[in-house]
Amino acid sequence: MLSLYFESIRIAISSILSNKIRSFLTGLSIIIGILTVTLMGTLISGLDKGFDKSMDFLGKDVLSISRWEWFGGQEWWEVRNRPRIKLDYIDKIKSRSKYAEAVAPVMQRGANLSRGDLGARSQIFGTTTEYLKTTNYGVEKGRFFTNSEDRSGARVALLGYDIAENLFPNEDPLGKNFKIDGIRFRVLGVMEKQGKFLGLFSFDTQVIIPSGATQRLFSRRGFIRISVKVPEDKIEESKDEIYGIMRQIRGLKPTEKDDFAVNQTMAFENVYNQIKFAIGGVGIFITILSLVVGGIGIMNIMFVSVKERTKEIGVRKAIGATKKMILTQFLMEAIMICVIGGIIGLTLASLLSLIINQFFPSTMPIWLAITSISLSIFVGIVAGVVPSYRAAGLDPIDALRYE
Amino acid sequence: MSNLISLSSIKRHYDVGGELVKALDGVDVSIEGNEYISIMGPSGSGKSTLMNIIGCLDTPTSGMYQFEGELVHEMDDDQLASIRNRKIGFVFQTFNLLPKATALRNVEVPLIYSNIPKADRLKMARNSLVSVGLEDRLDHKPNELSGGQRQRVAIARALVNNPSIILADEPTGNLDSKSGIEIMKILYDLYTKGNTIIVVTHEHKIAMHANRIITIFDGKIKEDRINKNMTKAL
Repeated sequence: MLSLYFESIRIAISSILSNKIRSFLTGLSIIIGILTVTLMGTLISGLDKGFDKSMDFLGKDVLSISRWEWFGGQEWWEVRNRPRIKLDYIDKIKSRSKYAEAVAPVMQRGANLSRGDLGARSQIFGTTTEYLKTTNYGVEKGRFFTNSEDRSGARVALLGYDIAENLFPNEDPLGKNFKIDGIRFRVLGVMEKQGKFLGLFSFDTQVIIPSGATQRLFSRRGFIRISVKVPEDKIEESKDEIYGIMRQIRGLKPTEKDDFAVNQTMAFENVYNQIKFAIGGVGIFITILSLVVGGIGIMNIMFVSVKERTKEIGVRKAIGATKKMILTQFLMEAIMICVIGGIIGLTLASLLSLIINQFFPSTMPIWLAITSISLSIFVGIVAGVVPSYRAAGLDPIDALRYE
Repeated sequence: MSNLISLSSIKRHYDVGGELVKALDGVDVSIEGNEYISIMGPSGSGKSTLMNIIGCLDTPTSGMYQFEGELVHEMDDDQLASIRNRKIGFVFQTFNLLPKATALRNVEVPLIYSNIPKADRLKMARNSLVSVGLEDRLDHKPNELSGGQRQRVAIARALVNNPSIILADEPTGNLDSKSGIEIMKILYDLYTKGNTIIVVTHEHKIAMHANRIITIFDGKIKEDRINKNMTKAL
């Protein structure tokens, strides 16, 4: 039986080769379909890796109290009059919460950095010593500021990895001075390099200074949030507790709505999943469409092929081919067109993913290659089965007489 | 000795557009081993239908057909395919070779259907082509061969499974007279080696090569006689 399948494959290949252009045009939709599904899968798995990496340094177990929700829901007129987040909430949260492991403010604002001729526009973070506990990254060299430096309003700073290279090219920045909006600061340390979050923005260009200095030197404008580190296995409970504490602090009656937001990095995940499903959905739609079109094309060509080779079918039957053998031969031909199309699509996709990888993380997982080839085989079977049955069912005498 | 082939009261009726066509209407034929038979008759007489039934390409509407003791009229499609593959070698007027395959591959195909391992298959196919004098044409495709050579490939294909009968339908119909004589020589040679040959023809000259001539007319056997003046193609 095995030699019969080899024979079928051999016949299929020679038939495809003798109609190269026709076979190529027929297989084109399959090529496009497989190209789409593999590229899409490659992108998504690349995104997943990048996202997981990004989520790691944000910390999944950190809640962020701010005026606004990170991701939508509320109308702007409802949130624009919300009271600001105040720094004295920190002590209240610390004393009332049983879950909070660390509580740190982040006062974020834009600022001009300069040193001699060198300068950059960046974001500065005013925070406390507990900040380090609310993130997963640390100090690369030098040290973080101390509580007393914070309280005394010392003008010290930690530089993001990239900003350190910008302001202090080819030299050690530790102990050296630079200016934030014209005010001189001393470099205490450089933070670890983190890379871009989702390839979009990076903490490596930011500067961390003590909250004391921030309050004394800079205006209150800008964005304040409070980061609360909670146990990883108690995130939901912690979130409920923080909501309660914040409502107490704000003195809200049970009927009043929240006038603050407790965000968590999990929310990124939800948004990310929505994006992922959108990409996936479009990709799957294009894939299905092109595979259906391709399948119809292959079915059509197979009908033509059966018609053209009616005489051959008659001869084969006369010399002893059973229905099953004829069926196998034509089914194999349809499958081969699809598999060859699939392999071409897969090859193109892996070449493209190498190029895309220059700009965006993308890797083709092996399961995707296997899935797409299986998909090609499936399309081949579905498209080939009716024409093949027709071929197998031909009456040998009629087929022999066919001109 | 039991008969190789025994047909009794074979009828084959078709329904063509509501009209009943009696292609065969009660045919009785017995064929022993090692006969050279020609089936003659004008077109529409039913000789092609008879050949199709003997060749197990068609099944009778009624009647009994025994092939080496097996009841062909009761067989299903797969059994018919198997008996065609193992017991019958076809030679057609239009050769009916696979155009894209070499001579060797054409001869190999029946062996593939009977599941013979590749090494044996190649040997058998080569031997068969050698026996019809085509040892230097193994790798030629049909369009690189003359008509006579193509028909010899077809004979090699018919012979390769060592069948019980060889059925030739107007084997010289598409050939010039010289090639036609060559083919008749090969068939005669096969007959003298003990094969059973059935040639369907409307040409009296071709029919005279057989030692038994069956004439068919209007779906019935008109004459079934021994040919005492057999033309020996040597």
